[in-house]
Amino acid sequence: MEKYWNKEIECMSREDMKKLQDERLVAQVKHVYENVKYYRDLMDEKGVKPEDIRGTDDLHKLPFLSKADLREAYPYGLLAKPLSDCVRIHSTSGTTGKRVVAFYTQNDVDMWEDCCARAITAAGGTEDDIVQVAYGYGLFTGGMGLHGGSHKVGCLTLPMSSGNTERQIQFMRDLGATILCCTPSYAAYIGETLGEMGLTPDDIKLKAGIFGAEPWTEEMRRSIEKSLGIKAYDIFGLTESSGPGVAFECSEQSGMHINEDNFIPEIIDPETGEVLPEGEVGELVFTSITKEAFPLLRYRTRDLCKLSRKKCSCGRTLIKMAKPMGRSDDMMIIRGVNVFPSQIETVLIEQGYSPNYLIEVDRVNNSDTLDISVEMNPDQFSDKVKDMQKQERELAGAMKTMLGISPKVHLVSPKSITRSEGKAVRVIDRRKLHD
Amino acid sequence: MSNVRQISVFVDNKPHQAAGVMRIIKESGVNLRALSLADTADFGIIRLIANDTEKTVDILKAASYAVNVTEVLAISIPDTPGQLSRVLDALGQDNVNVEYMYSFLGTSDRAVSFVIRVDDNAQASEALNRCGIIQLTENDIAEM
Ligand SMILES: [Zn+2]
Repeated sequence: MEKYWNKEIECMSREDMKKLQDERLVAQVKHVYENVKYYRDLMDEKGVKPEDIRGTDDLHKLPFLSKADLREAYPYGLLAKPLSDCVRIHSTSGTTGKRVVAFYTQNDVDMWEDCCARAITAAGGTEDDIVQVAYGYGLFTGGMGLHGGSHKVGCLTLPMSSGNTERQIQFMRDLGATILCCTPSYAAYIGETLGEMGLTPDDIKLKAGIFGAEPWTEEMRRSIEKSLGIKAYDIFGLTESSGPGVAFECSEQSGMHINEDNFIPEIIDPETGEVLPEGEVGELVFTSITKEAFPLLRYRTRDLCKLSRKKCSCGRTLIKMAKPMGRSDDMMIIRGVNVFPSQIETVLIEQGYSPNYLIEVDRVNNSDTLDISVEMNPDQFSDKVKDMQKQERELAGAMKTMLGISPKVHLVSPKSITRSEGKAVRVIDRRKLHD
Repeated sequence: MSNVRQISVFVDNKPHQAAGVMRIIKESGVNLRALSLADTADFGIIRLIANDTEKTVDILKAASYAVNVTEVLAISIPDTPGQLSRVLDALGQDNVNVEYMYSFLGTSDRAVSFVIRVDDNAQASEALNRCGIIQLTENDIAEM
């Protein structure tokens, strides 16, 4: 029996949802125009007035916001409420360029936690569950978001934060945690450590995991599900749009339901900005229609994916987004071919290798080089050099089939590639050093 | 059957990797009888024969090394010209394919010892017997 956190919203008819979105969008555009000079200037430049937006059908008339705008407006330029009304700040890790800082009123925090509560409920969570939150706590939204959602549902919440993996497993065993929340790469690491400690999924009580904050593949999902003996659910969100919980997966595990009562999604052609029809792959754009302090309109996420209104077996009517193929900024162009780290991960898991890998891209004599270091599989270790070289060649061949270009594959020792407790760093692109 | 167990260890082709394996073995008190390293641009494979195979495998696995154990043949031949080709001829006649071989120090300075890795131990052993080549057992090697 499928459980819902807010059945009225999650199973609302399309007409009622559209009506709700129309009302909320009109009010939101007015709120932003009046309070955010930065966006008002963008609208004026485009010749759009708040009165021109009478509902979601007019959404395309509004200007886009991009990460560049967020940097430009840093830190207070997009704030729509006085700081005295704000109660919380979160921030991106800011590995590239200036970090993004997002503000929350109490209502914003409540809305966000409500979205996370829907995700936990969809993963089977009730007040009888013990939720182990192994996302990082702090400026990063992962920890606090799922923590708040878990409280809302009434689960017993274990605020572990990330790191200290053996202790994570010890708590998991001693206290009988039933739901794990963390990044997929950390979940994989916890699964691997469990095995190393001589334990099996039977030694823990986990039944579900809610994993997000980085792109991961279907193959990785199956591998985590096996190593921890759970059902693994995807969750999506961005600091810019509040945090995890913008979209969440249900029992069907075939895409994430977007909380449309708070966020209107669009898919656009990343080149032209034109809105694409349902089912086509393009860049995901979100408009926050309920956020008070940091309400981004038509924010370009740079995530590439597609939307679907196909009827879902869980009963929810919320539109679904497919697992993002990766961020447009994760995409590497190597010898003119688009390459996503997720494609490499897919091949590795299919071929029985660990999903820990390192991609190194460089330019030698004006030609791009792609080197992938992969941890050798101890079960396939042979004392014969030619057998091991054959494994490298076969893996390179499978990569070529997937990517369209030939990488150089290097087998390295098991466990020699650094494990991630948060978001994994998989790519080193040295070409930038030469530019 | 006089097969000898050989331990192989995967190491990265980086400085100190092989030394790390040697240090762990030394600290455990195990004695190595034979050792060779094959390497490529990416990785190396250390092959060794120890006086205590189980213990060596356990300590290496505990240190997260990829380890496997294969059965090989060990022989002792006089240290005179033509002896090695006699061995290879004997194996060749029976179509035994030699994957690799390496020498190690025996007890006598008038004999040399070799580890031979072939695809068919039983057939190789028979061919060597027929030519009167002395095969060493794991015990022989441990007592060297
Ligand atoms: Zn569903």
